[in-house]
Amino acid sequence: MTAERARPRAEDRVRNVTVRGVTGRVSVRPGVGSYTDQVPLLLCNGIGTSLEALQPLVDELHPDRGLVRFDVPGVGGSQLPPFPYTIAGLASWVTALMAKLGHRRFDVLGLSWGGGLAQQLAVQGPRRVRRVVLVATGTGTLMVPAHPRVLRIMSTPQRHRDPAYAAKVAPQIYGGSMRTHPARGAALLHGATRSGSKLGYYYQLAAMTGWTSLPFLRLLRQPTLVMGGDDDPIIPVANPKMQAALIPHSQLHIYHGGHLGILTEADALAPVIDTFLDDEDPTRTRSTPDE
Amino acid sequence: MTTTGARTRRPRKSTATKSTGSKQRAPRAAEKAASEGDASATTAAQAERRMHDVDESQEAAERSADTALATPLDLLLSKAGSGPLRQFVPGMSGVRLAAGVARHPRVVAKRTAGLAYELTRVGLGRSQLAPAEKDRRFAEEGWAKNPALKRALQSYLALGAAARGLVDDAGLSWGDDQRMRFIVENVVEAAAPSNNPFLNPAVLKRTLDTGGGSLVAGSRRFVKDFATAPRVPSMVEADAFEVGRDIAVTPGAVVLRTDVFELIQYTPQTPKVRAVPMLIVPPTINKYYVIDLAEHRSLVEHLVQNGQQVFCISWRNPDVRHADWGLDTYGQAILEAMTACEKITRQKQTSIFGICSGGLIASMVLAHLAEIGQADRVAAYSLAVTVLDQERAGVTSALLSEEAAAASTLASKEKGYLDGRTLAEVFAWLRPNDLIWNYWVNNYLMGHAPKAFDILYWNADPVRMSAAMHRDFMDLAMRNALVKPGASTMLGTKVDLGRITTDSYIVAGIADHLCKWESCYQTTQLFGGDTKFVLSTSGHIAAMVNPPGNPKASFQTAPSGGGRQGSDNPKDTVKWLARAVKVKGSWWEDWTTWLAGRTGEERTAPRRLGNAKYAPLDKAPGTYVHDR
Repeated sequence: MTAERARPRAEDRVRNVTVRGVTGRVSVRPGVGSYTDQVPLLLCNGIGTSLEALQPLVDELHPDRGLVRFDVPGVGGSQLPPFPYTIAGLASWVTALMAKLGHRRFDVLGLSWGGGLAQQLAVQGPRRVRRVVLVATGTGTLMVPAHPRVLRIMSTPQRHRDPAYAAKVAPQIYGGSMRTHPARGAALLHGATRSGSKLGYYYQLAAMTGWTSLPFLRLLRQPTLVMGGDDDPIIPVANPKMQAALIPHSQLHIYHGGHLGILTEADALAPVIDTFLDDEDPTRTRSTPDE
Repeated sequence: MTTTGARTRRPRKSTATKSTGSKQRAPRAAEKAASEGDASATTAAQAERRMHDVDESQEAAERSADTALATPLDLLLSKAGSGPLRQFVPGMSGVRLAAGVARHPRVVAKRTAGLAYELTRVGLGRSQLAPAEKDRRFAEEGWAKNPALKRALQSYLALGAAARGLVDDAGLSWGDDQRMRFIVENVVEAAAPSNNPFLNPAVLKRTLDTGGGSLVAGSRRFVKDFATAPRVPSMVEADAFEVGRDIAVTPGAVVLRTDVFELIQYTPQTPKVRAVPMLIVPPTINKYYVIDLAEHRSLVEHLVQNGQQVFCISWRNPDVRHADWGLDTYGQAILEAMTACEKITRQKQTSIFGICSGGLIASMVLAHLAEIGQADRVAAYSLAVTVLDQERAGVTSALLSEEAAAASTLASKEKGYLDGRTLAEVFAWLRPNDLIWNYWVNNYLMGHAPKAFDILYWNADPVRMSAAMHRDFMDLAMRNALVKPGASTMLGTKVDLGRITTDSYIVAGIADHLCKWESCYQTTQLFGGDTKFVLSTSGHIAAMVNPPGNPKASFQTAPSGGGRQGSDNPKDTVKWLARAVKVKGSWWEDWTTWLAGRTGEERTAPRRLGNAKYAPLDKAPGTYVHDR
């Protein structure tokens, strides 16, 4: 939802872009001011949600920064692709999408499921992807798994389709401030978001099965910021720690909060991302801030 | 009888139309039609032909656009729950056809003998059978020059005519006749030798020329099209256009966004504008941008350039969470949009323009306003290609049965919505020659990319319909409830269309196969006020997208005035047509003049869109239009 704007900035423009025969819904906000010539930040969303879900984060990031959001094929307003895809295939499609939008080089931020995509993009495009931000995400099949109850809830798109169910399960799966305000989860997933087909969700799940970033994390060359919440039932906090340990040029930032902390506590976390992306030499400090 | 043109396939009438035009080739058919068709049908057919002659000079793309569809209620309705196959099951109609044929053994024997005789002549090369001149499927020289191909084509024509003749002979009731004719027509069209890659000379030639490359490209297209719903040939490339870049580009802003719709206010393009704003209520079953296509083809642009303050609703594409959005939800949305228009322009009135199903809901809202004593909130009412009276509304209503209706409502209820892509399949199979086989040859056999045409792009951008809306529409259609005062409700009040006394302007297309103009015309009998009816050329969409400047554009209208119901618009469409005069030019111009007389004084155009309460949120075309 486009809320009242606190600060002047360029407009988000939603459009449909067809790449390799698959039409995706994309929202582009061009960079302005000192960010005009900077690379834009590509935001990769969590599973089953449309680009609107990222609005709280977008509202808090630097207002001049160029941003690109998109609905994964089969989700939200994007067309369902003819066949299931792999993460590598999707990464290639996204790269082509960015090229079509005129961005040969870009930063990428991946939230949860989108974090997997972000890791894949980073390894597939060492020159195209400048910096990487991984938020509340794991290494795929080989990771410290969530509780089986959480995994069962995640295995269907039910919470995206039924607000009452979403409110019920939100505290269990998202943790953090959702435990005290469960309605926020439902609101986040339902406010202005678009709901795709069930099949689109299952394509997303299928793409992640069997995929893991563990073998290639050591090969990443980009400066990387790894973020994770200390109360995240989906991604136990050991995962971001492990990622940060494996990725050569990485920073780790653990925050108090749950899986969607970056959306619910965007005001506190967006500056961390901005600082990392704007830092002249983010590799010089390899810090692990205390919790 | 020869294969008839795409547009004139409606049985009986079209037989008369065509055969008078091609006496030499099908004398038997002509006699038959003359004996069969009653006098009024012949008059109507002649009038229709007058218009078709104008029509048929249009370009090929325009032609398919004509048949490209928006939505007829009745059909919608039943089919889409169950997919396109169901309409091909003959069921009881088939049984009655068989019975009908069995009752007339002598006629059938005669027809069979005739067929055998004709086939023999074909074999000997003496047959005079030839396709209709305008039948583009057989335009290639090879069909006439190559003896083998010529025989294949002639056998096909003879067999097709015999199959159609069987339906003629059976003497079925109106519904059964429409249904069986539909099925037979589909089978005959599918069997055309032009669809066969080994028989079509154009395909053979192209295969040779490209060394088989065209077939490879064609197969690739085939796999892509049929891998996902809608499983029909694509009529346009997915990236031929981009909404907001080369279509839906009239400048404006979203000034209100609710769960159900976005309200777009268009930037005035004249120094002075009419005081009363206009609110456009587009169909709920297609994207709104059919009225804002490419530049110079956009109705919105035309209105804005003629001094109207235009607002347009862009409906949200509902998904599973919106299953309970019904008629009332949409009616309430129209009221909200009206309030916004009035607040922004500081007026007490709005003029409303409803299109297709949007027109249906708007009509109910007007009746509601009349009922609660706010009828004067609407300054002028315009309606395009909207059917309110569902009685005998064409082949689609013949295909609709109570059971099918119930089954499909149930199906959408379970799913939460009716999928626009399933509808697209159903539609395509209603006009297989234009929407399937034409592209079958072009896309797959020839390996060509389909042409880039804005209306077809729009048509390939379907939306869903919420389950409750489907149920409500279906209920209206089955009971034909809008015709009877008080038989339906809107926002808690009974709907009586006769209470709408606002001046109205009603447009229909003469070749509209979805909302037959005769059905659209019946609206003049329902409304209480002064109703001007305008009959445009072309079909459902092309009638509406009719920009001025086309030298061939014309429309028919008859004098109306005084608001005395029935005095100016006779109940009988044939009578109306006899009285109507043909006007050169597009109805858009006539309409803007009509509007100008009813939308208040001219005043200085506002410098800013929206106001403090309705601040611009986004540039037009907004975000809802991009939801697939």
